[in-house]
Amino acid sequence: MIVVQQADFDAAALTAHLRSSTEGRAGSIVTFTGYVRDYAQDASTKALFLEHYPGMCEREIESLCTEARSRWNVLDSIVVHRVGELHLKDQIVFIAIASAHRGDAFSACEYIIDALKTRAPFWKRETLTSGEQFWVQRRDSDTRKTALWNEVPLPEENKEKP
Amino acid sequence: MNGTTIKVLYFAQVAELTGMREEQWPLPQPVSGTTWLSQLETRYPQLAPVKRLKLAVNQYHVSHGTLIQPGDEVAVFEPVTGG
Repeated sequence: MIVVQQADFDAAALTAHLRSSTEGRAGSIVTFTGYVRDYAQDASTKALFLEHYPGMCEREIESLCTEARSRWNVLDSIVVHRVGELHLKDQIVFIAIASAHRGDAFSACEYIIDALKTRAPFWKRETLTSGEQFWVQRRDSDTRKTALWNEVPLPEENKEKP
Repeated sequence: MNGTTIKVLYFAQVAELTGMREEQWPLPQPVSGTTWLSQLETRYPQLAPVKRLKLAVNQYHVSHGTLIQPGDEVAVFEPVTGG
């Protein structure tokens, strides 16, 4: 399930949905929730505005989930990303991965959030308590972290048999 | 859409700098992303330097070396910052 919406979401209800949809085959569900925090080093964040590219956004997230399934044993997944105006401490993004084993679930969840940050077409405009507004710049550390996944070998059982 | 234009979409800071979110752009012949970006910079000098900008063609990320064809949907934006 991939959803891009303005409305808030219920992380517990989404996790319960995944637990139900996998019908007892999931030995583990790993979830990640991202929140609005103080981004600026020396000023206070009042709000974020999230803009996105409808259509491409959903398709790009879908392809990240497909890649995760090809690399790890993933039974089912949920990605929810909010857009529009958000305030300090609000939920921004939710990722849940159901897998038979925790290792696959942890890796797939981390891969999806890392890749989402560098590939899914969302942009954040930050408003400080002073009223100043600016577009958030991509962090080099995010770019490097996504690139590192290209060096991670596939799990043994997912490799093609010779 | 006819065969001699492209649909151009601007997002976030790029939309603010151009003052618009969408426009039709005449394109009778295929051009590389690099060539098209230099035309974009001529029209909107406030976007300089355009080398930092990212392109998506028909909703897929592409490199600046990719050919843009008449009829394409071309999106222009700064590096993404979601999550």
